[in-house]
Amino acid sequence: MSTSSGRVYVTEAGEPIHGILAEFGSPADLYHAAEKVRDAGYSRWDTHTPFPIHGLEDAMGMPRTKLPVLVAVVALTGAGLGFLMQYWMSGVDYPLVVQGKPYDSWQAFIPITFELGILSAAFTALIGMLALNGLPRHHHPLFKKDRFLSGSDDKFFVCIEAGDGKFDPDRTRALLEHAGATSIELVEE
Amino acid sequence: MTTAAASRTRLATDNISLSYGAGRSTGLGLMGLGLLAGLAVLGMGFSGAMGLTLKHAVAVYLIGAMGVLAMSLGGLFYVMAFHLTNAGWSATIRRQAENLASFLPFAWLLMLPVLGVEIATHGTLYLWLNPDYYTDHALQNKAAFFYAPLSIVDHDTHEPVKGAVFPAFFVIRAVCYGLIWTYLSRRLCRLSREQDVKANASLAAKARFTSAWGMLAFALSTAFASFDWLMSVDFKFFSTMWPVWYFAGSAFSGMSLLVLVFARLKSMGKLEGVVTPEHFHDKGKLIFSFTVFWAYISFSQYFLIWYSNIPEETAFFHYRSFVGSAWRGLGIFLMIGHFIAPFLIGLFRPVKKSPLALGLLAVWCLFVHFADIYFMVRPMVEAGSNHPVAILSHLWVDVVAIVGLFAVLVGYLIVKVPASSLVPVNDPYMDEALEHRNYV
Repeated sequence: MSTSSGRVYVTEAGEPIHGILAEFGSPADLYHAAEKVRDAGYSRWDTHTPFPIHGLEDAMGMPRTKLPVLVAVVALTGAGLGFLMQYWMSGVDYPLVVQGKPYDSWQAFIPITFELGILSAAFTALIGMLALNGLPRHHHPLFKKDRFLSGSDDKFFVCIEAGDGKFDPDRTRALLEHAGATSIELVEE
Repeated sequence: MTTAAASRTRLATDNISLSYGAGRSTGLGLMGLGLLAGLAVLGMGFSGAMGLTLKHAVAVYLIGAMGVLAMSLGGLFYVMAFHLTNAGWSATIRRQAENLASFLPFAWLLMLPVLGVEIATHGTLYLWLNPDYYTDHALQNKAAFFYAPLSIVDHDTHEPVKGAVFPAFFVIRAVCYGLIWTYLSRRLCRLSREQDVKANASLAAKARFTSAWGMLAFALSTAFASFDWLMSVDFKFFSTMWPVWYFAGSAFSGMSLLVLVFARLKSMGKLEGVVTPEHFHDKGKLIFSFTVFWAYISFSQYFLIWYSNIPEETAFFHYRSFVGSAWRGLGIFLMIGHFIAPFLIGLFRPVKKSPLALGLLAVWCLFVHFADIYFMVRPMVEAGSNHPVAILSHLWVDVVAIVGLFAVLVGYLIVKVPASSLVPVNDPYMDEALEHRNYV
């Protein structure tokens, strides 16, 4: 990624570092911490909460997803190709008289054009969502941390990745401490 | 909660009310002028002034009346849909939907001149009322729908009766629609206004209960009104998709008019922080969804008729679409104007969130809505003829009648909107609506 520092941080044992994980006690604390991390200019980081927190994406400064554009483009392409396919098959390649209609009756092609538009839109929405989220993945470094388990119960986490261009072991830790983290630890890859 | 208390300050009287009587004379003037225009066109048709036929006059008056009826039916639909779904976001926009729905008794009254003229003249536009057509087998088979318990065929001789028969069942249904629409719109508006004063949540529960059976009554009355008053213009034609077509236009145009009401209120500096870009976003989504719905059902109707090729059905579309037909251009315009253009424009989020942009789109939507009803009715005036000059003659009369009847509704809203608080202040969902955001 363009924001990557290119540096690799390792622990004293020599293991590469994934990032720094900070725990927060309440949604409000996490929300304000997210604002501080955002304002500090980090880009490769994420928050983890047991339930959705409205407005957190703004506090994190997340841009709007590109998925709708992707879906629109693929859906229109799918619909267009669907129409051309039928036109070519029925009108050009193997003309058959059906119901006494002209070979290239556009009306007859609409349902399949529509369905192919929907189908490609649905597939793009699902697969695109997974791809943009980096899913599926069978493991994540955070799962090694016992403390992270409470992220599905009553604790709130920020994890800033070592790959971030602004990442610095000391300053990033200081930022999270300043933001009110109740616990901070390094996460190995 | 403190946020709820803070949001409540947005409900300051100044922000959610217009001074009572504001614009009243303008509104009443507009109503009077509009009604005068509509009736003048009918009068011209009767007297044959400037060569206008009565059939033409009744048709264009019908287009205007059914157009505004569709909008107020759309208002009623949204009020009931919001109640039934326990919708939170819509609490701040429901009052204006109620105002739109409260036009229903008047919209019904606007239809009376058409029904009166048609019955009195034994069918100029509704040819099934004309005794000359009693010999038609298609009409004889449908006669009970219009004339029961009377009959247009003599029981003993099986010959068509001489002289016009009173369309009893048709008139009974027309009265039923009036009663249903008046009752539903008045009751839902009354409960909502009562809540403004009493702050009693059980009133919302009553409104919800009314909406439950009301939605069914609405669906049946709207469907049969569209059969009776629009589809019967071509009595040989039949389509079970027809009411859905009319309803799609109704929900589409009703929401478009609501958007314009709110855009106007916002431009007056009202509803600050009460109706937000988030609410406009949702209204835009509804317009968008109903333009897609309209395209879906109107194509479905066309498609099945085109495929099955049954003469009585196909005639409707053939006359409007064969190469060289004077109406072909209007049909293609509707495909683009009523579907493709609003669809592509409505895809963009900034358009839906901006009162100005969505307002402009809504103006366009109202225009194509009238064009849609025009496409249903107007070709029947010169049915069989395909002479563009004859068809386009008196086009200004069409404009006067349609704009006139629309002005009646606009004038009514100008009078009605300031008459109560702009939002149902004590609605149980008010806090939720004030905090409404689309988290996507």
